[in-house]
Amino acid sequence: MHATQAFPIRVVDAGVLWLNPLGPSSVPPTLASQAGHQDRTTMAAKFRGVMQSPVTPLKEDFSLDLATFERVLDFHVRTGAPAISWPHHKGESLNLTIAERKLFAEAAVKVVAGRVPVTIHVSALAVEDTMELARHAQTIGADGILAITPYFWTPSLEAIHAYFVRLCGAIDLPVLSYNSPSYLAGVEITGELMSRLIQRLPNFVGVKEASFNSEKFLEISRAALALRPDFAMLTGVEFLLPSVPLGGVGSYSAAGSICPNLCAQLYAACTAGEWRRARELQFKMTRLWHLFRDQYPSSLKGGMVIMGRPVGPTRPPLPTATPERQAYIRAQLEDLGILDSEPHGW
Amino acid sequence: MQAFRPGLVHTPVTPFGRDNSIDFDVLATLIDFHARNGADALALPMHAGESVSLSEEEKRELIAFAVERARGRLPVIAHVSNAGTALAAALAEAAQAIGAAAVVATTPYYWTPPPAMLLKHFHQIGAAVEIPFFVHNAPEEMAGTKITAELALKLIDQLPNFAGIVDASLDWQFMIELMTDATRVRPAFQLLSGTEHMVSAGAIGATGTFSSLAAIAPRLVRRLHDLCRDEKYFEARPTQEEIAALRQSIKASGPAGLKAAMRHMGRDCGEPRPPLLALDASAQQALRAALAALPALGGEPRGW
Repeated sequence: MHATQAFPIRVVDAGVLWLNPLGPSSVPPTLASQAGHQDRTTMAAKFRGVMQSPVTPLKEDFSLDLATFERVLDFHVRTGAPAISWPHHKGESLNLTIAERKLFAEAAVKVVAGRVPVTIHVSALAVEDTMELARHAQTIGADGILAITPYFWTPSLEAIHAYFVRLCGAIDLPVLSYNSPSYLAGVEITGELMSRLIQRLPNFVGVKEASFNSEKFLEISRAALALRPDFAMLTGVEFLLPSVPLGGVGSYSAAGSICPNLCAQLYAACTAGEWRRARELQFKMTRLWHLFRDQYPSSLKGGMVIMGRPVGPTRPPLPTATPERQAYIRAQLEDLGILDSEPHGW
Repeated sequence: MQAFRPGLVHTPVTPFGRDNSIDFDVLATLIDFHARNGADALALPMHAGESVSLSEEEKRELIAFAVERARGRLPVIAHVSNAGTALAAALAEAAQAIGAAAVVATTPYYWTPPPAMLLKHFHQIGAAVEIPFFVHNAPEEMAGTKITAELALKLIDQLPNFAGIVDASLDWQFMIELMTDATRVRPAFQLLSGTEHMVSAGAIGATGTFSSLAAIAPRLVRRLHDLCRDEKYFEARPTQEEIAALRQSIKASGPAGLKAAMRHMGRDCGEPRPPLLALDASAQQALRAALAALPALGGEPRGW
């Protein structure tokens, strides 16, 4: 149907394929940190590729399992994560206490130990808790924070503006915003709001744009990249094939604890413009998303049992994957060839 | 089943005279314009052509006129959507008899149909013809009613002529799921982009596009379509951004804005029919200012 289109300009670094579609200002993160630059360019360039957000391991009594969390973090770094971010919704962020979130945030920074950047997801139901978590992230030496538009209240564009102004003003760290209209009753960051925030806030360096919609993604990337060419346009759930051609430089990962190899291959194919291969890998990745989005992240934790990396139950109201559900997941992973192509155990 | 691959499909407006009747003289000129300016096919009357404001008789007449005028130059895809299933199926049948190359239909108007109702509706329209049948997914226009990959699979099972989906949802999850599932059971199944947001759709596997903006900027739309056809998605991004800016300046005002922009480009097709209102003076001024701020329009044809 289509001819394969090759795309040039790559820098190979430590086994990870980095592409520079945005021009000379984007720099692979390890090179940037070696150079010791602390300007905004370096801040944004840290966040690209398929970044991993670890699940939160729990003991059978639903208490935090620190030892297993350390193994999960180490697993992600060893299997090629270009950055770590915790606790996303997949890490059951909203079912943890603020004290628990601080405890594991500290553990994440300590275990990763500068091997890759660590960002802390600070979104909480109460904005005052978000502020507290953001200041804490700075204190413990995190490399940035990620924050969604406020939950529940369906804030106006002005309220969203005020929220990010306050958050970015409270810390010196790079701030990544998070746009998720389908989970938040249509609340979203428009292109115009993005422009205002970028013009005002030097540490507002990127967005996780999770509308999964061509027009919405392009509206934001068009506005953002015109003002700040190194702005990190990221998406969720490894939707790289449709976003990389629109200026996307990476994503967070849903299934990375199951298939780190597939994540790296998909990113490489998209950034190299190998579209036929990218389609094949994206379709496979999306089948995994459909498997795990049902009762996310319960099914994902169930899948980790199959992969030899058990992380315990999921906190209510989310269910824990039953043995029947696990058997179904095993069959699907087998069908997709994941059991043969991805690492088993830690 | 013959493989009809529509490519770049222009979706013309319907020109009206001062008395609100279809102006067939202007329509002839308009069809010639589309044929000379990059269309691989025409689809009409789409919503951009105010299909919902035309009588059944007018729609047949319009399709027949277009098929005749475009003969030997462009295939015509007939848009047959309606609220009632039998009405849509009857127009599909008529369109085939007139010589349309394919038919396209979206979800039934008004009834907020559940999945079983959608399946029956589309089944009856598709079964009324032998020519290729495309389903149009436009949840934003259809009060949130969506086509699912599951529905598409059932239609593939029931209809040998179900050729593909024209997607205006722009939803990555839907498009990827659809192509993953549908091409496994029908390898020739087609995803067509229902808007000029072609880059992401193309990367996912779309092979054609429905474009109303081609009436304003046919060269820009053709360039984007060709870049996507050649899978030059990185190179396509600047053009995609220009078209997104054009789309954003017109989208909210619908066919009225489209017609006002066409007049601005020297191709007057009159005003929309009621209940749509023509743009008032200040809206026209704002639109002209928005269009003047788009450098890409400088390279587009003026007049017919």
